[in-house]
Amino acid sequence: NIDPESLLPKLPSPEDLRPFPTMCATKFLGHAGRVRSLAIDPTGNWLASGGDDGTVRVWELGSGHQVWSVRLEKTEAVNVVRWRPGTDAIILSAAAGEDVYLMSPQIANLTPEVAAKSREVADAGWGYAANDVKSKTRKEAVTQWVRPGSRLEGEGVLVRFGLRKTVKVISWHRRGEYFATVSPQGQTSAVAIHTLSKHLTQLPFRKLKGPAQSVQFHPSKPIFFVATQRMIRSYDLSKQELLKIIQPGARWISSFDVHPGGDNLVVSSYDKRLLWHDLELSVRPYKTLRYHKKAIRAVKFHQGGLPLFADASDDGSLQIFHGKVVEDMMENASIVPLKVLRGHQIKKELGVLDLDWHPREPWCVSAGADGTCRLWT
Amino acid sequence: MAESQIRIQLSTRYPDISLRENPGPIVVNTSLRRYALSTLVNTLLESEKPVPFEFLINGTFLRTSLDEYLTANGISSETTLAVEYVRAIIPPLYLASFEHDDWVCSVDVLSETSPAASGTGNAAFKPGQERIISGCYDGVLRVWNMSSEIIAIASTSREGGPISALKSVKFLSPTQIATCGMDRVIRMWDYTEDAENLTASLTPRLELYGHRNVIASVAVHQPSSRILSASWDHTVGIWSSKASDAPPAPGELLPSHRGSKRHKSEPSINPQRGPLAILRSHTAAVTDTIFTPNDHTVAYSVSQDHTLKTWDIPTSTCVDTRSTTAVLNATVSMPALNLVAVGGTARNVTLIDPRDSATSVSAMTLRGHKGWVWSLASDPDSAYGLVSGSADGTCRVWDVRSSTTDKSGKVGTSVYSIERESAKGETLRREGGDGVQVFGVCWDQKVGIVSASEDKRVQINRGQGIFGGNPV
Ligand SMILES: [Mg+2]
Repeated sequence: NIDPESLLPKLPSPEDLRPFPTMCATKFLGHAGRVRSLAIDPTGNWLASGGDDGTVRVWELGSGHQVWSVRLEKTEAVNVVRWRPGTDAIILSAAAGEDVYLMSPQIANLTPEVAAKSREVADAGWGYAANDVKSKTRKEAVTQWVRPGSRLEGEGVLVRFGLRKTVKVISWHRRGEYFATVSPQGQTSAVAIHTLSKHLTQLPFRKLKGPAQSVQFHPSKPIFFVATQRMIRSYDLSKQELLKIIQPGARWISSFDVHPGGDNLVVSSYDKRLLWHDLELSVRPYKTLRYHKKAIRAVKFHQGGLPLFADASDDGSLQIFHGKVVEDMMENASIVPLKVLRGHQIKKELGVLDLDWHPREPWCVSAGADGTCRLWT
Repeated sequence: MAESQIRIQLSTRYPDISLRENPGPIVVNTSLRRYALSTLVNTLLESEKPVPFEFLINGTFLRTSLDEYLTANGISSETTLAVEYVRAIIPPLYLASFEHDDWVCSVDVLSETSPAASGTGNAAFKPGQERIISGCYDGVLRVWNMSSEIIAIASTSREGGPISALKSVKFLSPTQIATCGMDRVIRMWDYTEDAENLTASLTPRLELYGHRNVIASVAVHQPSSRILSASWDHTVGIWSSKASDAPPAPGELLPSHRGSKRHKSEPSINPQRGPLAILRSHTAAVTDTIFTPNDHTVAYSVSQDHTLKTWDIPTSTCVDTRSTTAVLNATVSMPALNLVAVGGTARNVTLIDPRDSATSVSAMTLRGHKGWVWSLASDPDSAYGLVSGSADGTCRVWDVRSSTTDKSGKVGTSVYSIERESAKGETLRREGGDGVQVFGVCWDQKVGIVSASEDKRVQINRGQGIFGGNPV
């Protein structure tokens, strides 16, 4: 009589998989209404957040003191904030309603030099836009990149452009030259790719099957992932062709993230499941993880070399996982649930709406429907 | 059952509590604990008012009965036990709070016993004129008297400009103050009081440019006119507090630089100067730096890269690096013990022996904080004492002789914990951001433990006769 359980490989104990975040170190108080999105800057010292009050705020990460804020909209929520990769320039992107903004927050590393470089990077496309008009492509132009007006310019906002529907997702290419946006209600214009140096907006995915949910650039190859409600398609950007149709089996995908190695991705769903895909193995999930009682809204890998990923749920908690991708092709990733982080209050059925990882440390931040952000260390 | 007995030899290094005649070895029951021993010493001293004492055996406080101590340490009751006694630390009492308009980052004290008053070549300190300076997130430097009154104030923030939180404020001498913070500038101020010491003026004297990010901390050494700075730009700066000794300021970092058209400012009337040296070796933000107390040619720095570095100032070289397991926020030296204390996001204080001969990274860990450690200061009365300020809203007072040993090595527990008066009576555990983080702490012999907090207050606590006098 052999107990079948004893034949299963033993999961390592969370204690042996330290470090990972275990407690709330700092709360960020100030937003009126839900915080929709947040992101830690590339240096790891500043936290940007945006929410239903129409403001983008920047905080000192360790202390929780607010150092900068701008009101982008009076009536629209800020749905997403994302920093441009790199430290040579400081550019924070955000979307409020249908408008996308690029800004240079007044933080301490914005020296006169960095401020000049930041403006240079954001302004490089003005000349190109003029050429664009001459070459008669203007009638095809999806949108016009403009200066945001003197009030916002005085606050450090550099550029604005409008899309046709509410923008919910911004995702940057690692080199900081391209970023993509998603307007889930946008149908043929749901996914847009923007070229910063040319102030150029293109709509490369005219025939998506179903409403777009999220997008990601591959961390090292010219591959682009587009999630619709049920599928994730990967495209070769240089050859302009479809590579794979990934089938998580979720009824409604909320978000996904690509592992820094590029061969694995993790998908979150409104139907409470988290799905790990090994792209070399199959288009079906390698592992299905059910740890939440409510919808999962976001999932992210640690990007700084630690084998960690985490998700954020409407049940008010974050679940931290160990997720180690093994170099050996014959061995599969090891995934171990490590810790549930609780603290956010649930407001009107909404819990934790976004999360991000610190670029180096085993720390994450979360954005709550309760109006707070939290740093977990 | 016959009670076992042991001979003890009592001694102290504090003249004011020493026994007039050496009583020689005294036979006592091994069941005695600290309190009974304290009563014994008070009887021998013929004290009118009993003084609480602590007892040190082999460098560690007695925390059990003598019997349990002998058993735990495998010592025979036949031996004569050398027992040293010191005054017990009396819980620091709350004295006052100074209210600010925003979170307070940093504090420093000027008193007859503070380092800045012992400098040479400056106006002598007047006893009874103790001063506290505070650096605040609103960019304002405030000078306080002990009656909670602001007697001088100066702002570093510009209208419409970025936040210029003052991360660190230090008296260089009774008439000079150094400040730094989020505006990337170290400022030297002349501080002068009127004849009646009722009001005072703060005059900007020198602006030092060279860092490219937040300057988290300055350290000052008045006799050599040297200033050290710790910056989030990953470097440590060495500067002169004298404009005549300092090189020109790097033009690209000045606010008048062509790039910064958004906040055009008038050409500054204060002299602007640059660094004597910028020390590069850390790989993340530097958060604190200090001179070694006995040798101003050696500096220590701690960083978000988890390391403590030792620097040789004359040659601007990093001579030693010690790695820990977490981000470090603060450091203080314990020169008599050849130790450097560091604190950070691991929520503890680690004591490190930075000498070449040291074999282990950590000599001891001080545990008890429930939040990040933001700030450290040494006990002015004891070579064994220090205080830490934490995000958990407490200042903890430590005596490194109060320790136990577990599987991770020597572990110290705090002898006292100072709560925020602003949160008194609350039983809910406070988390960072709930209003009580302690960002800065200073411990002066005369004034006491002065702490700066997210509760927008500077709080003063004083332990009466902590360790009383200096050991000989
Ligand atoms: Mg594999």
